[in-house]
Amino acid sequence: MPNILVIEDDDIMLKAIRNILSKDGYTVVTAKDGKEAFEKLDSGTFDIVITDLMMPYANGLEVVSRLRTDESKKGIGIIVVSSVGNEETITEAFRLGADDYLKKPIMAGELLIRIRKLIASLNSKGGLITQNK
Amino acid sequence: MWTDLADLLFQAYERFGLLPLFIEIALAFIVIAVLATLIAYGAILWKRYKGFLQDKRTAFISPIIEDLITEQVLLNEKLGTDTPVDDIEFDQKALANLIYKKAFVRQILIDTLIQYRKNFRGEVGDLLRKLYLDMGLQKESYAKLKSIKWERKIKAVVELTQMDISISDVTILPLTNSGNASLRAAARNAYIQLSKNEPFKFFDIATEPLLPWDQLEMFKIITTTKDIPIPNFSRWVSYSSNKSVVTFCLKLIAHYDQQSAVPAVMDLLANKDHYFRASAINCLGKLTAEVAEEKMVRIYNNQPLICQTEILKAMGRIGSGKHLEFLKQEFLYSSNFDIRMNAARSIIKHKSEESEKLVEELMQITHEENQLIIRHCKNPLIKY
Repeated sequence: MPNILVIEDDDIMLKAIRNILSKDGYTVVTAKDGKEAFEKLDSGTFDIVITDLMMPYANGLEVVSRLRTDESKKGIGIIVVSSVGNEETITEAFRLGADDYLKKPIMAGELLIRIRKLIASLNSKGGLITQNK
Repeated sequence: MWTDLADLLFQAYERFGLLPLFIEIALAFIVIAVLATLIAYGAILWKRYKGFLQDKRTAFISPIIEDLITEQVLLNEKLGTDTPVDDIEFDQKALANLIYKKAFVRQILIDTLIQYRKNFRGEVGDLLRKLYLDMGLQKESYAKLKSIKWERKIKAVVELTQMDISISDVTILPLTNSGNASLRAAARNAYIQLSKNEPFKFFDIATEPLLPWDQLEMFKIITTTKDIPIPNFSRWVSYSSNKSVVTFCLKLIAHYDQQSAVPAVMDLLANKDHYFRASAINCLGKLTAEVAEEKMVRIYNNQPLICQTEILKAMGRIGSGKHLEFLKQEFLYSSNFDIRMNAARSIIKHKSEESEKLVEELMQITHEENQLIIRHCKNPLIKY
């Protein structure tokens, strides 16, 4: 099953997303802030990154930007999950390279469907990173 | 040792009366200061100890509660099936755990459920609400609502609102007009979110002001709450005696583009309060009420600066082109910088062939400072 990195500074949300994704069979790794996320991204291989926007050390937009500028991580699918709902931030996230955007409060079922769609899209583009390795 | 100390204190007490008055006063102050310091330190230490115990208990209880929510809600097998959320049953054994009978555990459970509800909607959100109801936690919230402490009342109002549990009008309406600003704001926000038919009914009885920050919060709630029935706000513009309610309604009228409110807003142009009139003019501009243009131009010369600038802005927003000559005169002959600036902006904002010609003409005939104003106003990066 695909590897997913969840970056979220809210403990409750982090555990909740981890539990939901684990129940669906995904391998889930978590990070509590941008700094920890960069460390995990450097040491592991992931197919999808689910990130919040407002976080300490490095925010979600910086994570998206770093992933899209790093050649070895360009193929990772990115879903932004945030309570920020203003147009500018959402368009900025997509401009930097996010694949999808979910506004909090989220629907668990919707998150799973969007992940499945993203995986299908990544598969059609050349396969998941973890499968290719 | 204790008898020696008691003797010493007794002797000091006996000799205290023999001391000069200013020494007696100084000693009394010293004793009071030392005692007050000791009491303050004692209170701080006691509070910290209580906080420490609370944190310890929360750290112990939180994982148990999170496990309960994960098992019963997030990983509930019935989620995502055709079973309606109301028919999903929880594991009664898990819910009957004695730990959930304790008041402080129930409070942590409520707080945690609210946190989850802020993050999840849909089936998960509904199931969290069902868990709250099945565990009878609404009784705790209702009990807090009856407390005499306003902080507890606010907590109750927030809990019930977050869990989408209705509160009777008899209970909540008086709170929307409470003398305590925080409680008042919380109750008003709750009323808007919970009332299904008349979410703005409290405007009728509001005698306390809607503070600017409260208006901002309320505006956010009104514009983001789903399926909220939006009334015609002109009703309060015409009849409310609460100025802050009328000002807030003017903003809502403009936001929801309630054209039917134009006559009621125009009536405010005759109001004695300058700020009130300025708000009404601003609203008419945002409604692009062409019908109000004539009246605004007519009253212009008798208005204070704040209303004059609002009238000029309104001309630009309406952009009918009927009063370009008036704007030109104001731009060319006013000695006030703000007037010239707003007149120039409004002319440019018309964006018609006629206005463009006028701008070109003004650039030819006017002096250097006015030309600078026009160039500044033409900059699209400067928002109007």
